Amino acid sequence: MPNVRVTINGVEAAVPANITVLEAAKFAGIEIPTLCDHPAIEPIGACRICLVEIEKQRTLQPACTFPVFEGMVAHTRSEKVVEARRFVLDLLFSERNHFCMFCQMSESCTLQDLAYEYELDHWKFNRPMPKFSVDASREYFVMDHNRCILCRRCIRVCDELVGNGTLGLKNRGADSMVTADMDVPFGESSCISCGTCLQVCPTGSLADRASAYMGATAQIDRVKTRCMACPVGCGTELIVRENRVIRVEGDWDAEPNKGLLCEIGRFVPLHEKRNRVRQPMVRTDGDWTEVEMEEALGLMNEKMREAGDDVATIVSGFVTVEEGKALAQSPGAKYLMHPIASEQSTAKQADLDEADLFVVVNTDMTEDYQVAGFAIKRGVRQRGARLLLINDAADGEAADGEAADGEAADGLGDWAMRRFGPEDANQAVSIARGAQMPVIVAGPDGAKLATELADQIPDAKVLIYTPGGNSRGLYEVGFQEAFEGQEAAVYHVVAGEISRISPELLEQLRQGGTVIVTTSYREPWDEVADLIVPMPTTFEKSGTTVNADGMVGQVVVGVITRAVPTNEIFNSLAELAQ
Amino acid sequence: MAKVTLSTDWLDVCSGCHMSLLDMDELLVEILEHVQLLSSPITDLKHPPEEGADVGILTGAVSNDHQEAVARRMRERCNILISMGDCAVFGGICTMRNFFDTEETLRYAYVETDSTAPDQEVPRSPEIAKLYPAVKSVRDIVKVDYHLPGCPPPAHVIAYVLTELVAGREPKLTEDLLTYD
Repeated sequence: MPNVRVTINGVEAAVPANITVLEAAKFAGIEIPTLCDHPAIEPIGACRICLVEIEKQRTLQPACTFPVFEGMVAHTRSEKVVEARRFVLDLLFSERNHFCMFCQMSESCTLQDLAYEYELDHWKFNRPMPKFSVDASREYFVMDHNRCILCRRCIRVCDELVGNGTLGLKNRGADSMVTADMDVPFGESSCISCGTCLQVCPTGSLADRASAYMGATAQIDRVKTRCMACPVGCGTELIVRENRVIRVEGDWDAEPNKGLLCEIGRFVPLHEKRNRVRQPMVRTDGDWTEVEMEEALGLMNEKMREAGDDVATIVSGFVTVEEGKALAQSPGAKYLMHPIASEQSTAKQADLDEADLFVVVNTDMTEDYQVAGFAIKRGVRQRGARLLLINDAADGEAADGEAADGEAADGLGDWAMRRFGPEDANQAVSIARGAQMPVIVAGPDGAKLATELADQIPDAKVLIYTPGGNSRGLYEVGFQEAFEGQEAAVYHVVAGEISRISPELLEQLRQGGTVIVTTSYREPWDEVADLIVPMPTTFEKSGTTVNADGMVGQVVVGVITRAVPTNEIFNSLAELAQ
Repeated sequence: MAKVTLSTDWLDVCSGCHMSLLDMDELLVEILEHVQLLSSPITDLKHPPEEGADVGILTGAVSNDHQEAVARRMRERCNILISMGDCAVFGGICTMRNFFDTEETLRYAYVETDSTAPDQEVPRSPEIAKLYPAVKSVRDIVKVDYHLPGCPPPAHVIAYVLTELVAGREPKLTEDLLTYD
């Protein structure tokens, strides 16, 4: 793309010809205020706060949508521009309830920041003060329509980034309202509680239940780290105040998620209801007694020594590479808690944003690997990519393209062109053969079939997920077998904060042997364990994790705890083996 | 040099703005060297004198006919009128009742709240000021010369505005001086 020469506020710059005035200003180091615009989504020029004066243009133009041209001369802070922005702010404040003093977003609000910047000491226009509803039907966050400025950021991220398309707009003019589906309460809508809308709302319209009033911009720290809940391996930002995580946001700069998170990564850790393990606990005659760490370690060592090599160490995906390395030195067999997909990926997660056809095999991408599921959804909605689902749940009727009810193992049904049972996989192959860039996605249950299909479809890549956030990293340090009920005298389960635990695993642990669980939360392990040892959560530890792409992510401490570092415990176990 | 004369009054308020005025602490002594306080809700003389004052400060929103009269009298008797605090400037938290019918508000306040004793009635004495259907800002009733938002405006901001006026300059609220909460 050739460059064009532009002059903004007297600063000359050569910028790519296909960008907007807003982007060109950024090139020249000039800031233009925005409200409806967001770097991650397409500009729509709705709010008019970014109006700039461009010479030879009849009127002021929105910088976010106006393209640059050769010889363009623009002024972003001229008297005319400042006056226009104040007018825009006056209009915005006149419409609904924008009183700061009881708003949870005060001091963190883009609208408020702009009003301060443009020195609005009163509001010019009479305000009709319409009474809009507050929708509190969702579990994690609340929508107050009275604070909405109709910038549509929420609607656009839901559509463009998440591909869910839950949100829309109803009515016209000042009566316009953000609405879900066919105008149902948000809690009853197709919303999947990923919280992306919450993260981009520039006013107090969307309020997070956990962090409302808990800390404004000046009081919080942001810690960039990694989510360890699944192998997608999203980059997150912990919003920390006084050594406490109040909110989790997606890291806009991180691959592969580019700012997105799912319900499990964003909200679940902050709404954890289980009891935290802070002190080691020993079960004697069915009752739990808290003991000192030293005693617990002694007991652990004793049991392990007695068992010799007859020990099974079972780790969840919440264990970091460093923790895994230390654990790999301990005696006995090493197992991964999750089923391992033995087939290898030939695709990267980034390929999901290039594909023109997806085949998802025996995996519900709305339950597992959700953020990768978003890439598939937006591929279907934004690029017109086709989605084929292959799963055991699909029967003949469903194969006609009719969506089964939500119970089926493929929540992506609404985005799919066709669904097939495994026996009809050849039909999927014949459709996929015409694709330019087909990507086949599967978890452990569909990995084998996915790889077989890839052999029959030219240029097809496969993306195989092994469940567990750091399973790939743990595999590399020696946990290369899945735990499938192998017997041992002592089981050492290193769980972290994992909450989705297979009933078979718990049943097996009930069968006998000494069960030691190193875990952040008591439940459900107190049903099966003999000894429980505390473990820091992902928020509380540092280390590395390897995602499905083989990309190494840094887990960074957001909260400092007094819990004994697990490495210390694990190293003492390693000494046993020597 | 003659002192600048000042009158203040409150309308529909929590009185927090006048507390903030007192919060000026020793600055208050300094300011009073240049300013003569003629009347205020927190001194003996409550009403601005008929001969008038240089500066008038109103806090609070306008909720009833009495408050409108107070606001109009202050406007008439002062050369410069300042509306101080979010309620005076924007209507503030008092406007929450604008979302409800006036009768509904009265019934809730006097009859239905959990803390109300049983068998209470809404007081209807003609001596009581008549509630307006909607709460307004001072600016909706009379012309205002300077707006000083904040809930409440910090003491140093009030001091700044008074100091500038005494010095014959126009107060201009920028950056840290401008706050809405």
